[in-house]
Amino acid sequence: MKKVLPPCCVMLMALGLFISSSALAQSSYSNFDQLTDRLEKLESDYRNLAELTSLDKTLDGREIWVLTIGKGDVEDHPAIAVVGGAKGSHIYGSELAITFAEKLLGNSDSQEIQDLLASTTFYVFPRINPDATEEYFASLKYERDANSHPTNDDRDDVSSEDHFDDLNNDRLITLFRVEDETGKWMIHPDEERLLKKADISKGEKGTHHVYTEGQDNDGDGAFNEDPKGGVNINKNFTYDYPYFEPGAGENMASQIETRAVLDFLYEEVSNVFSVVSFGPSNNLSSAIRFNRAGVSKRVITGWYKEDVSVNELVSEKYNEITKLKDAPGNSGQKGDFFQWAYFHYGRYSFVTPGWAIPEVKDEDDKPRKFNNDEAHFLAWADQTDLDVFVEWEEVEHPDFPGKKVEVGGIKPYVLYTPPYRFVDSLAQSHTDFIVELAGMKPDVQLVNLTIEDAGENLSRITVDVYNNGVLPTASRLGERNSWVKKVNINLTLSDGLHLLSGDIHDIVRSIEGDGSVKKSWLVRGKGSFTITAGSPNSGFSTVEQTIR
Amino acid sequence: MKNFITNFILLACISCGLLISPEANAQLTDGVFRAAGTPANPKVDATWNHYYNYKGISELTKELANTHPDLIKRTSIGKSYEGRDIWLLTVTNFNEGDADRKPAMYIDGNIHSNEIQGTEMSLYTAWYLAEMFGSNDFINQLLTEKTFYIVPTINPDARENFFNEPNTASSPRSGMKPIDNDGDFMVNEDKYDDLNGDGSINMMRRKNPRGQFVENDTYPELMERVGPDEFGEYELLGYEGLDNDGDGRINEDGEGYYDPNRDWGWKWQPNYIQGGAHKYPFSLPENRAVMEFVMEHPNIGAAQSYHNSGGMILRGPGAEEDLRTYNRQDVRVYDALGEMGERVIPGYRYLVVYKDLYSVFGGELDWFYGSRGIFTFTNELWTSFEMFNSNDRSREDSYEFNKYLLFNDALVEWEPYNHPQYGEIEIGGTEKNFGRAHPGFLLEHAAHRNMAFTIYHAYSTPNLVIDEISEKDLGGGLKEVTAVVTNTRMIPTHASQDLKYNIMPPDYISIEGADVEAGMIVTNRDMGHTVEQKNNPQKIAVDNIPGMGSVTVRWIISEGRNYTVTVDSKKGGLVHKRK
Repeated sequence: MKKVLPPCCVMLMALGLFISSSALAQSSYSNFDQLTDRLEKLESDYRNLAELTSLDKTLDGREIWVLTIGKGDVEDHPAIAVVGGAKGSHIYGSELAITFAEKLLGNSDSQEIQDLLASTTFYVFPRINPDATEEYFASLKYERDANSHPTNDDRDDVSSEDHFDDLNNDRLITLFRVEDETGKWMIHPDEERLLKKADISKGEKGTHHVYTEGQDNDGDGAFNEDPKGGVNINKNFTYDYPYFEPGAGENMASQIETRAVLDFLYEEVSNVFSVVSFGPSNNLSSAIRFNRAGVSKRVITGWYKEDVSVNELVSEKYNEITKLKDAPGNSGQKGDFFQWAYFHYGRYSFVTPGWAIPEVKDEDDKPRKFNNDEAHFLAWADQTDLDVFVEWEEVEHPDFPGKKVEVGGIKPYVLYTPPYRFVDSLAQSHTDFIVELAGMKPDVQLVNLTIEDAGENLSRITVDVYNNGVLPTASRLGERNSWVKKVNINLTLSDGLHLLSGDIHDIVRSIEGDGSVKKSWLVRGKGSFTITAGSPNSGFSTVEQTIR
Repeated sequence: MKNFITNFILLACISCGLLISPEANAQLTDGVFRAAGTPANPKVDATWNHYYNYKGISELTKELANTHPDLIKRTSIGKSYEGRDIWLLTVTNFNEGDADRKPAMYIDGNIHSNEIQGTEMSLYTAWYLAEMFGSNDFINQLLTEKTFYIVPTINPDARENFFNEPNTASSPRSGMKPIDNDGDFMVNEDKYDDLNGDGSINMMRRKNPRGQFVENDTYPELMERVGPDEFGEYELLGYEGLDNDGDGRINEDGEGYYDPNRDWGWKWQPNYIQGGAHKYPFSLPENRAVMEFVMEHPNIGAAQSYHNSGGMILRGPGAEEDLRTYNRQDVRVYDALGEMGERVIPGYRYLVVYKDLYSVFGGELDWFYGSRGIFTFTNELWTSFEMFNSNDRSREDSYEFNKYLLFNDALVEWEPYNHPQYGEIEIGGTEKNFGRAHPGFLLEHAAHRNMAFTIYHAYSTPNLVIDEISEKDLGGGLKEVTAVVTNTRMIPTHASQDLKYNIMPPDYISIEGADVEAGMIVTNRDMGHTVEQKNNPQKIAVDNIPGMGSVTVRWIISEGRNYTVTVDSKKGGLVHKRK
């Protein structure tokens, strides 16, 4: 808390004093009102390129924003959805999303970005679980992933009856440990500030019980088992939904936030070819591995081989640009947004936490190895002079009279939230990556149009429907999924022309990158014709010709 | 099981025969003599040999609620896609107890819009219960103990479409939200076309000496395929329609399409795995309204969803992947109910969806059981058995039935038509109200039998009784109070699925008016085995009160004589007993 307040004040002052300066740089993470100001400013600064839409309001009254960036017929240009904050405590992901929008638009007078926005659309959802994310700014901090929907996580007959309690009055919810020979935890041998589960098979014995900071408010023998709120939006999507787990909600897609995002992506737009989200999982530092068994059953649980290849290519680009190849891979969590976007939405779905704990060097300037992320993090924080730990301090705990109870641990949020001064360069590299991905978009073109004389008053029209992009016009999974639009090819003839052979209308499931489909028609007579090919997610191409 | 059925039937018989109320004794009223088991002189003069459209449903439900204000309340649980109210009838004895705390049965019909008669089964049930109340002791007891939540149609928009627009017996099935079915970026651009103007979509055929079909000798509307070494006289061209959008195909993008019974949240899968699924569970407003109602009514322990056709009493699981969800204790209850169904609805078979029908994800009955722990059946109404009360079936049966029982009322005779794509063709077959929907004279019959099954189902929901409250003096000012609570019906307060995931809170047995020093569940009374509940001992939480089973709890109290024991069970109701 002590650490956070001053930067906030600084930022408010900055907004007050330098609001007109377009070069204004953020100096701290944004609460919801600040996020909204930034989005509104983008809309008003870039009227022809950006449009801000509220999809719905949360229970606490915050909008689920989507910023549409693009030019012209934005709904007919292939699009990338950029999504932050499905995991509410991951405010850094939300910051990456909004900063991406700022950097992209801030660069929109360059020829490269002008060309990009004339043919590509971006839907930026900067914070899809805003009620949870707002907890970052609360005076009493705990890592909150759940919205404000009342839940009954312990499934008794009362809701939210056992919340966290700040036992040491530092306004941070950390841990408390109780010295007790029946406990299963012991002091970590590599890092004495941390605890680890004792492993009796290695002769280790537990010395402590460990709980999240709090009391047994409802006297049921459990600590903080039914905290305030809510449903974790990143557990409420429809793929591999964790039924009956705390935070999952009573039904999949039961939440306003979840449905706002789903309804927009399913019904309002159909041009999305790829989804990039920022969250706890990661298929960008290292790609999903192909697993044949996962795609050989009715309810598939793995990526198709063709889609894994695309993931590998995109991951390679990501690592070249961001240099984050050492961030741990993670193929997804139950009910999360990232897996939904592939398995149920059928789009190329990419996710990254957007940050990895930087390397820590030993005395010989060699990278130190850690077998525990938290130990790695603490070593890095020490080296970087960051205050991320609440030292263990003895307190009186009403539920443990006569026992030695200490409160302490890693502060909430710090593990996944880099200090703000690191954000700008990370956001720049992620912007560069998304622009690179946009450059790989499927791009349907009609090429090699020929009209040949095929006999008395007969002509043969041929054309190649060519995918000028790197990515296929539909993912392999998308080929099966009716929510993914397929390439339609239509021929329209003027009055003097009559079709003798060939399809007036055809649908092609997918055209691979740099691939093509040849179409041919036999017509009789004279007149003009139009051929249109494409789909919203791969672009449209039209040719017109006259046979004289 | 046998004993139980006998008791149930016995009770029903006693009610009708011996304990009849004075009002019903006057069997001769206004020119008619009372037939057994039917309301003698109904206040709402409903008839059951036709189908109610939305106006008819709205009027009848309103009249039922107005005429029987102490027995039926009508509310809307939400609006359909096109904005129609989805009517709910709450049927219970409102003069005794809180309707929403009584163990309840939920019934709906018509989720598939062409499967129309579920609505009439539902309406008949509400009408029958209200009209029989007061003259039949069994129904009196039933409506005093239980609540029925009845939603006659949960797809009112497309029901109207089925009646008013040209359809086959199997369309639209979907709801009315337009969908691009053929992937050409247009919605509903090539529907059926009623070329002969009879309100039904019939078959198209064309004379062709190289065709594969001939007319049946007796029933010319029935086309039969010739042998593999023969030519027939006709080719079949599918359902009545035109190529409306000029894409070279006929009827490829009609009303809908999604399947409202693939939209429910238990083990839901998307359309590439489960055809007919929409965006996500409850993405259809009608189903969402039902889901929200059920979530808000934890007293629902039993449910019935009416479909057609095939004469089936179906239970889950819908998909083989979900086999383990249904365990042995619950299957035993399902079996007992289903076997009674086979008995009271002759010709209907009790089956399991995934193995006897087809595998399906996202069905309504799976959500009711898997997500809410509610014992649920789907009845597929109408079976060819009902035509001649025989399981000996042939393709000609329905044509023979139409001729000799319906006097060819459902017949659409072949007539010539000049089709823009096919040229000279003929259109004919049968009307849309034939083949899946009950013919009028059998509709009340089916309604009564299916209702009887749901009444047995409703009767089997938990009925909690505090059998015993006894005291023992422990000396030193302490007393031991033992209470025994019994569920006198077959369905437990918690299905095993519910127990596995703690869907509902536990049942609470509490004591008020005594100073409680300790509380415990007695697991073996004779041997003195108990499990103490340290926190809140005055309110003992028990996981379940099994069907036809008891739980025993005990308190040690220091003060109190006139105390009350209360059982508070979401699905078993609220019961008090004073010492």
